[in-house]
Amino acid sequence: MRQFTYLTPKTLDEAISLHVAHGESARYVAGGTDVLVKIKEGKFAPDYLISLKHIIGQDRPFLNQETGELYIGAFCTHGSIEQSPLVQHHYPIIHDAVKNIGSVQIRNVATIGGNLVNAVPSADGAIPLIVLDSKANIYGTKGQRSVDLQRFFLGPGQCDLEAGEILTEIVIPPPLPRTGSAYIKHGRREAMELPMLGVGVLLCLEEDMTTCAKARICLGVAAPTPFRALAAEKYLKGKTVDENNLTEAGRLAGQESKVRDSIRGVAWYRREMVGVLVKRMGLKALERAKERHK
Amino acid sequence: MQNLCSVGKRVPKLDAVDKATGRVKYIQDLKVAGMLYGKILYSKYAHAKIVKINTTRARELPGVLAVLTGDDIPDIRMGVYKDNRPLKKEKVCSFRDEVAAVAATSPEIAEAALKRIEVTYEALPAIFDPEAAMKEGAPLIHEAHKTNVLKMPWKLHYGDVEAAKKEAAHTVEDRFTTTWVTHCCMGTSGAIADFDPANNLTIHTNTQIPSLAQKDFLEALKTMGISDRRVRVVKPCIGGGFGSKLDTYAYEYIAILLAFHTRRPVKIEFDRTEEFIATSTRQPTITHISQGCDQNGKLLFRDIAMILDNGAYTSWGATTPSVMMMPITTLYRVPNVRYEAKCVYTNNTYAQAMRGYGNPQATYAIESTMDMLAEAAGIDPVEFRRINANQPGDVSTQGLRITTCGLTECMHAVKEKLEWDRPRQAGEGIGMASLIHVGGGARVYKSDGCGTIIKMDDFGKIDLFTGATDMGQGSDTVIAQIVAEELGLEVDDIHVIHTDTDVCPWDVGSHASRTTFIAGNAALGAARKLKARILEMGAKLLESPLEKLNLQGRHIVHQDDAEKKMAIGKVLRKAHFSHGGQMLMAEHFYDPANENMGKDFRGNMSMTYTFGTHGVRVKVDEETGKVEILQYVAAHDVGKAINPLLLEGQVYGGVMMGVGYALTEQVISEKGQNMNPNFRDYKILTAKDVVPIKAPVLETYDEDGPFGAKGIGEPGCVPTAPAIANAIYDAVGVRIKELPITPERVLAAIREKKGLDLCGQAVDKGDADECIIEE
Amino acid sequence: MAHEISFIFNGNAMKMNIEDHWTLLHLIREELGYTGTKEGCGSGECGACTVIVDDKAVNSCLYLAAEIDGKQLTTIEGLAAADGTLHPIQKSFVEKGGIQCGFCSPGMILSAKALLDKTPNASEIDIKEAIAGNLCRCTGYVQIIDSIKAVSGYGEDEPHVVAFKTDEGERGE
Repeated sequence: MRQFTYLTPKTLDEAISLHVAHGESARYVAGGTDVLVKIKEGKFAPDYLISLKHIIGQDRPFLNQETGELYIGAFCTHGSIEQSPLVQHHYPIIHDAVKNIGSVQIRNVATIGGNLVNAVPSADGAIPLIVLDSKANIYGTKGQRSVDLQRFFLGPGQCDLEAGEILTEIVIPPPLPRTGSAYIKHGRREAMELPMLGVGVLLCLEEDMTTCAKARICLGVAAPTPFRALAAEKYLKGKTVDENNLTEAGRLAGQESKVRDSIRGVAWYRREMVGVLVKRMGLKALERAKERHK
Repeated sequence: MQNLCSVGKRVPKLDAVDKATGRVKYIQDLKVAGMLYGKILYSKYAHAKIVKINTTRARELPGVLAVLTGDDIPDIRMGVYKDNRPLKKEKVCSFRDEVAAVAATSPEIAEAALKRIEVTYEALPAIFDPEAAMKEGAPLIHEAHKTNVLKMPWKLHYGDVEAAKKEAAHTVEDRFTTTWVTHCCMGTSGAIADFDPANNLTIHTNTQIPSLAQKDFLEALKTMGISDRRVRVVKPCIGGGFGSKLDTYAYEYIAILLAFHTRRPVKIEFDRTEEFIATSTRQPTITHISQGCDQNGKLLFRDIAMILDNGAYTSWGATTPSVMMMPITTLYRVPNVRYEAKCVYTNNTYAQAMRGYGNPQATYAIESTMDMLAEAAGIDPVEFRRINANQPGDVSTQGLRITTCGLTECMHAVKEKLEWDRPRQAGEGIGMASLIHVGGGARVYKSDGCGTIIKMDDFGKIDLFTGATDMGQGSDTVIAQIVAEELGLEVDDIHVIHTDTDVCPWDVGSHASRTTFIAGNAALGAARKLKARILEMGAKLLESPLEKLNLQGRHIVHQDDAEKKMAIGKVLRKAHFSHGGQMLMAEHFYDPANENMGKDFRGNMSMTYTFGTHGVRVKVDEETGKVEILQYVAAHDVGKAINPLLLEGQVYGGVMMGVGYALTEQVISEKGQNMNPNFRDYKILTAKDVVPIKAPVLETYDEDGPFGAKGIGEPGCVPTAPAIANAIYDAVGVRIKELPITPERVLAAIREKKGLDLCGQAVDKGDADECIIEE
Repeated sequence: MAHEISFIFNGNAMKMNIEDHWTLLHLIREELGYTGTKEGCGSGECGACTVIVDDKAVNSCLYLAAEIDGKQLTTIEGLAAADGTLHPIQKSFVEKGGIQCGFCSPGMILSAKALLDKTPNASEIDIKEAIAGNLCRCTGYVQIIDSIKAVSGYGEDEPHVVAFKTDEGERGE
C-alpha cells in the first residue's frame, strides 16, 4: 500500500488544524474500511491520514434527556448502533439498516459517519436517518453548523463538507407519537450486499390509528443521492393507510424516482421494486406504529 | 459386506488439524530465498494489434530485474489446441491477454514497473456473441485458423432421430442459455519457479495435474532451448480447485521465463481482481433441444444442437461436449439421440474445466425439457422420469455400460424427504432433476491411471505416495482409510504424501470425480501387495498356514488361535534387522478397463456411473421475482460412502455452488470486459444464504469401486439449476430458460405470462412512455 | 513514517516499530511471520483475514497496524493451548467436517470464537450472521455451521443426512 503518515489527534480542533496544515495531501479517516480500499485501488493518494477514531466523544448512541433527541456520534461503529437498545427500541428503522451493512467484521470497525460522508448512492445508512428527519452536525474552522441530513448529499460522492470540516454527529428528533417506520435493503443474497435498492418509510398516524397524518419516504440507489418520494408522501397524507393506498403511493414513488441501469440492477426492475417495497415497508411501519401505540 | 473398521467411518480429514491451526502453507505463504516477484500486464483491448511496446522506463526502475514481452520469448504454446502463448505477440484477443511481465525485488516495485510500460495498440473489430462470430465475414480471432468455429467435430447420431420425431406422440422444443461463472477458489492462483545452475526447474504451483503439468513445462523448456533437464512440480496446500487447476496457465510459464531470465526464483501470486479476470470460467452455452416420447411416456428421441462460447483461446472448456454426451445420450433411456456442438472463438475470456465439466449446462436443458415433455404428455413428472429411468445392466446408445444404478431409488428418496405430495401454498412449488456422472474414472487421455507407492517403517506405520491431488476434497483421508482397512491399521498410521513429483508416482490428475475410485483402487492394489508379503513373513514367524492369517488391529492374527498374534511393527523390525533382510514396499498402478471414445464417440468412458436426483421446494415472491428455497434434497447413489462426513461435504458444497449457478452467480461481461471482478458483485452465496439441505445416500456397492465406492466430487452441482427451474415453473407457471434465474427474469416472465409489460401494464392498453428506462 | 507500538499478541506482550501504512494483515504475515491469517481479497469482502482485536472480529486487511497499539490481538496461532490441545471450536471444525481446502478456516474459526465468547448460547441464526462475512467455496457452510453449533450451548438439530438403504440397514448419524 502507498506510504502515508498516520496522525491520531485527540480533539476535533487538533484534527482540523492538522487538516489545515497539510491541506490537500491529508484525508480524514475513521473506521478506514472504505478509505483503505480506495488507497489500495489508487483512487486516493494521501500523504497524511488523520484518524478521527481517537477523538474523545460518544462511541455509542445516547439520548439527550432534555430534548428527547437521539445523538449518534459520527464515529460510532455500525456495530455499536446495531447493539444499542435505544436504537432497537425507539428507532427500529435504523436497526433495519445498520444490521445489514457489510459483515460483522466491517460493522465492528466502519462508522456511520464514514458511511454518510462517502455519499455513494448505495450507502444505505443514510436512508433511515433521512426518513427520521435527522440533522447532521458539522464542525470546522468556522465553528459548528447543522444541516438537514437530506441536504447534506449533493451528488454521487459529494456531500456538504467544506475542506477540513468534519461530520461530528447525527441528531434524530424524538419519536413522534403514533408513528412507525421501516427500512429494507433489496439485494441478491442475504448478506454482504450493497443494495440494489433501499427503501425507508415512516408513517405518522392520526388518533384514529388509520389515517396518515404524515409520511416520509426515502429511497436509496433510486437517484444519484438519497431521494425523497414527495409525490408519494403527499398522496398518503390524509388517506387511510391500507394496502391499496400504499400500492398507489408505491407506484407514484416509482414514477418519481430517477432509477437507472447499472451492473447491480436494471432501471425497470428498480422502479418496480420501489413500488412493491414502499407498499411493504408502509405496511410494516403501520404495524410498528400500532405496536408502539398499544 | 465384511465388517469394516476404517472404511465407512466419519474420519476427520487428515490435514484438518493443521488447517484449523493455520499451520498449512499455501502458495501465498511460501518464500524461497532470493525470490523475486513477478507481475503481469494485461491487455487494454478486447481485440487489437500490438503496434509497439516500450519497456525502457520500466527497466530503468531500480529493483527491476527483467521485463519481458511477447517478442522476448520463444514460441511456447499452451492449451489443448495450442492456440495460446504466455505473452502475446502481434495482437491481443481478449482483455485478459498477457502483454508484458516484470520481475522485481518487491511486489510494489513490480507493480510500479508495469505502470511504466507503454503499449501502443491499434484496435481491431471485436466480437462477443458466438452466434455472430459464426457468421460469414465476422472478424476472425485467429486469422490463421480461417474460421471462428473450432475444428473439433463434436457430432453424434445414434438411431434415427428424424424417424423418431415422426413417430413421437408428444414433442417439446426450446432454447436454453447459460453464462460465465467462475470457480472462486478462496486461495488465489500462484507459482514460484526456480532453476538450478544446470537448468533443472523446480516449480511450486497450484495444480490438479502435477504429472501433466510436468510434461507441459518440460515441453516449454524444450522450446526455450533447454533439453534433457528435469522438472519438479511441488504442490503447496491448495486453496480450492473445482477444475480451475486442470490446465497450465500463462502465469506459470511467465514465472518460468522470468526465473530463467533473471537466474533467480520468481513468484507470481494473483490478487483477487486478477483471479477473477485472468483465470478461466465455466463455458457459456446456447442449447437448442427437442425431446419426444410416445403415448405411454417412453422417450423416443433427444436432439440437441449447442454452441459454446470458447473465448479467445482454447483450454479444456472446448472439450466439455465429450462429457455432455454422457447425460445427452444416457440420462434416462433414449433410443435415438443426435448431438452437435460447436465451439466458437470470440473476444471473451476463455473457458476451462469447472466442477461437472459441461454436465450442469447439458442437464439444465435436458431436465427442464423433461418436465415440459411430462406436462405435454399429461404424466406426473416423477412418474415420467421413473418410466424412463436407467436400470442396472443397461447399455446406452453411446455404449455406456450401466453397472450399479440407484436412479429410481434416488427419485423415490427425494419424493419422500421432500414430502412431494404435501399440499402447496400459493407461490410454492416443487421440482426435481436427476443426474448421471462418471463415477469410475473417465478415459479422456490414453491413460486413466494413477500410481501408488507404499512403504512400511519399523513401527508398522505407512508412508503412502500417491499421484492424486487433495485440494480440500479429502482424497488423502479416503485413501488412508482404504489402506488402513486393508492392512488392519488405524487411519492415523497412514501418512499420505501427494505433493511432489520427485517422490510421487504418476497420475493423470484430479478430475472427473475420479480420485476416490482410481487413486483409491491404486492404493488398494498396493496395500494388497504389501499385505501378501506381511502375511507371508507372518506365516513363517508364527509357523502358521498363510490362509489362516489376517491383519487386524495392527497385528497379524490367526483366525482360530488367539495366542498366535504378532504386532505388524515387530514383523517389520524382524524383516529389517536380520541377515538377508528385506524392506516392505509395494507399488501399484491402476488403470481401469474403461474405453476411449471411438470415432463415432461410442465407448464406455467410465467403469461405473454415479446417479442422483435433486428435489427442491421453492417459494416465489410474485411481486419481486425472488426465489426462496424452502427445502432441498440431494440424493445420490454413491456405491459406498467410504467417508460419509467428507462425502456429505462434497454434496453440500456442490449443491450450494449449484444454487449459486442457478440463482445468483454470473461474470458480468460487457464487450469482453469483466465488470464484477470482486466478491461484492460476483455473488457467491454466504452463510446466511444456506438452504436447508438433506443428502440421502444410497449404497449400491459397485464391484469395481474400492470397497464398492463411486466418485461423488462433482454431482452435487449438476442438476441444481433445472431442479430449481422446474420448481419455479410449478410455483408460478413460468419457465426460465436462462441462467442465472434472477428476480428480474422471474418477474419479467410472470408479467409476460399475465399479458403485462415489464411495468405491470397491460401490453395493449398501457402507456408506452411509462416503461421508458431513464439513464 | 515509523513509530513504536505495544500490544498483546496471542497472549504475549510485544513492542515493535511499525510503518504507518502497514495493515494489520501485513504486520502479522510479513513482519511477525505468522501465515495462518490469510488474504483472500484485500478489500473486506471475504473474511479470510479475520482476526480478533480485543473482543471483536475485524478484517485485518482493512485495519491499520498502528491501531493495534495498546490492544490485544488474537490470530489463529493463538487459539490452541501451549501443549497443542485444540481450542474446542477448532476441534469441532476438525470433527464435523468444517474444513475442506482450509483457506477460509482460520478466519471462520476466529469469527466463531468472537461470537461464542460473547454469546455462548449462539443460535443458528446468530452463527450465520457471525460468519456471513467469511466466504467459503468448498463446504456450502453446512458443516461449518454444524461445527459451531456443536460447541455453542444452543444444542444440535437433527442431522441433515439420512441414509435410506444400505445392506447394513439404516445408517444415520
